[in-house]
Amino acid sequence: MAGSVQKRAGFKGAFLEGWEIFKESLLGRIGLTLILIFALMAVASFIPPMIDPMYHPMHGVDPEISFSTGPSLRHWLGTDFMGRDILSQLLAGARVAFMVGVSAAFMSIFLGTSIGMIAGYMGKAVDTMLMRLADMIMVMPTLLVVLILSSLFGQLNIWTIVLIIALFRWPGVSRVIRSQTLSLKTRPFIEAARVAGASHFRIIFRHIMPNVLPLSFLYMTFRVTSAIIIEAALAFLGFGDPGTVSWGMMLQWVWKTGHMFKAPYWLLPPGICISLITLSFYMLGRAMDEVLDPRLRKEADAS
Amino acid sequence: MKKQYGKLLVLLWAGLLAWIGILTGSARAASILKVGLLEEPKTLNVWLASDTWSRKVLGQIYQPLYVREPKELKLIPWLAESQPQYDPQKICYTVRLRKANWSDGTELTSEDVAFTGNFIKEFKVPRYYSKWRFIDRIETPDPRTVKFYLKEPRAIFLGRTLTTPIAQKKQWEKVAVQLRKAEKPIASLMKTKIEKPIGSGPFHLRQWKQGAYLYLCRNEHFFAQGKSIEGMTLGPHLDGIIFKLFGTSDAAILALKKGSIDMFWWGIQPGYLQDLKNNPNIQLFYSEKSALYYMGFNVRRPPFSDATLRRAIATLIDKDFIVNRILQGNAIKMHSIVPPGNRFWYCPDVPKYGEGLTKEERIKKAFEMLKGAGYTWEVPPLKPDGAIQPAKGIKLPDGSPMARFTILTPPADYDPNRAMAGMMIQEWLRMVGMPAFAKPMAFGSLIQQVKVRRKFDAFILGYGRLSLDPDYLRAFFHSRNNRVRGWNMSGYTNPEFDRLADLSAKAMDVQERRRLIWEMQRIIMRDVPYIPLYNPKLIEGVRKGKFEGWVQMLGGIGNVWTFCNLREK
Repeated sequence: MAGSVQKRAGFKGAFLEGWEIFKESLLGRIGLTLILIFALMAVASFIPPMIDPMYHPMHGVDPEISFSTGPSLRHWLGTDFMGRDILSQLLAGARVAFMVGVSAAFMSIFLGTSIGMIAGYMGKAVDTMLMRLADMIMVMPTLLVVLILSSLFGQLNIWTIVLIIALFRWPGVSRVIRSQTLSLKTRPFIEAARVAGASHFRIIFRHIMPNVLPLSFLYMTFRVTSAIIIEAALAFLGFGDPGTVSWGMMLQWVWKTGHMFKAPYWLLPPGICISLITLSFYMLGRAMDEVLDPRLRKEADAS
Repeated sequence: MKKQYGKLLVLLWAGLLAWIGILTGSARAASILKVGLLEEPKTLNVWLASDTWSRKVLGQIYQPLYVREPKELKLIPWLAESQPQYDPQKICYTVRLRKANWSDGTELTSEDVAFTGNFIKEFKVPRYYSKWRFIDRIETPDPRTVKFYLKEPRAIFLGRTLTTPIAQKKQWEKVAVQLRKAEKPIASLMKTKIEKPIGSGPFHLRQWKQGAYLYLCRNEHFFAQGKSIEGMTLGPHLDGIIFKLFGTSDAAILALKKGSIDMFWWGIQPGYLQDLKNNPNIQLFYSEKSALYYMGFNVRRPPFSDATLRRAIATLIDKDFIVNRILQGNAIKMHSIVPPGNRFWYCPDVPKYGEGLTKEERIKKAFEMLKGAGYTWEVPPLKPDGAIQPAKGIKLPDGSPMARFTILTPPADYDPNRAMAGMMIQEWLRMVGMPAFAKPMAFGSLIQQVKVRRKFDAFILGYGRLSLDPDYLRAFFHSRNNRVRGWNMSGYTNPEFDRLADLSAKAMDVQERRRLIWEMQRIIMRDVPYIPLYNPKLIEGVRKGKFEGWVQMLGGIGNVWTFCNLREK
């Protein structure tokens, strides 16, 4: 009992210590602020349809407007080609971006971490097999594969897209986790656990995992970025889920209806949002990198 | 030594100047129309050209016996000299040919016409065979006369058979010999490449630079040169046409604005219009199309085997919304399978479901129709006091819950309008509690699903180039075509309709045929296996100032009349 309390204090202590370092990083602060703003947008996306059904991002249209108009009091960012409110679409897009980004990243991290730990810990044939598999998947261009799949099977549902992104983005993580595991497994505490008779399963998930998880989370932030970009690219090219209002989808509508150079109020917001959200996750990742890797920190201090 | 260098220099200068003179002089003399296309033609084999880009190019090269004039769309003699003579006793049409030549200078004779017909029949050339299969034999009493003997009277002979492009016997005979030897002639025909098509049209192919452009030169042997037809003195007055390839509308429209092309031969999306309207160098043409965009049902199986349900859906669909919002007003609503622009054949008194109703009225009307047919709900769309509420749990008349169904549409990258219309229809159907799901699907898989596997609920498709002869009505709904890869995609069967359709195919009297076609439209719109949605308008843009003489007709300005009439200002 006393042990677990102590442990919790240890975690809390480690977190606070990490937070102190994170706070120092300007990149981290900007990134976190941006992410919080986007999260707020995602939460706020439920509000407009409640005010009036015409603010529904997918099928709500202004009864008086049937073409694209610029910003007004009624539609703060204007309307799209059929009179739908762009602001409510932008908010709904934030929700989709988070959904796609976080869930795809989480899945790929889960896969990548498990496979990396198993490969690193088991070594030999298992390691070779898993890592060659990782190599094979790593060289496949995700966007192209998804494009081919969607032209084969018809337009993909948003969750299928998430799953495919996750399935193709784990190898990078698994390589890093594997190398970390390789160094961990020769440490005395693992030896001790083995001598004490712990099973492989227990050693991997009880002793190695807590030590590689921070690294996994760091990679998760980068994976969020790539997942969002892939979804946006797919949607922009017309292969997204047409029943979902994502930022890529909005860009596709701008493009396909010929408003690309006519309606900056419609083109810019989703474009800027995609750039900023990916940037913010990247900045968050960089700041976390500093927290986890003391070498980076010292360099920063020295400069 | 120095002197010699000097002479050489002078000579070089003179040569250079002369060269520049030749270049600029020839450029000034030649009047070349530059036309922007989105994609490269898939083939120059006229029998395979099913894509619009190949047809646009080949349409300048291959010519039919009769064409439609631009104003009233009546068939007028083209390669033929006069209207065909019909002999009802022998079921025989006699066509006299004009004096015409192929682009290689040889004479176009009745042999070429007979060869074309026999070639199509022998090798069952796709898309043309159905228009020639009823022809018993073709005789050529002399080089300028062709006699077509029909197995039975067929109404489509004039409008469909005689508008087939005529191919040169000399060029295609070699192909025919090869095909006869092949194990699978059709498959071999599909693989046959034609590098230099020889036609009788106003232009012939000079050069095809793959991926960049096609250069068509004026055909000096064109038969209509200098002739006055339909009030136009035909040329071609151009020295050539260059078809440039752009890939996207954005790039092509930019090229049009900058003046590097004179015409963009493709419909312009509404978003570009405002900008182009304000551009003093651009002229826009708004034309009607002969097209049909529609929602089709699989009437072979529940729930859409029930006509009441189909009628209720037709009532729920807001065509005004689709036309005004999704298509930005650049379309007209359709109420029958035949487009209203086809005035002679279009039947105006068909039932118009949901016309002029508000959203609430649509829901109420559809609810009453369905309730009357025995449909029930867990939560009906109307409260007892008549207010609308979100409906849930719709049940079929037999008491079983309506299973979720999908509306297949082409994907957004292929046609954003249809994909969007599918999404909106899904929402409208959900208002009365129907578990509808719009599903965009790659075009090939969609056709596979609807025509071959035939496992689907509903779909949204369209015909962008519907022929002017209404025989398609028979093809779409005759029970004989309810088979794998058949035209009757809905699986509609109605003996009464079949009887009228068969009569209409044989009706040689136009008024009688019109009466039958109208009756067929009424039956179809009563049973609604297809719900006609809209007919898009075509907006095309050209540069002002350089060329004049654009001829607008159904289907836009890209027609043989324009290319024969266009001249430099």
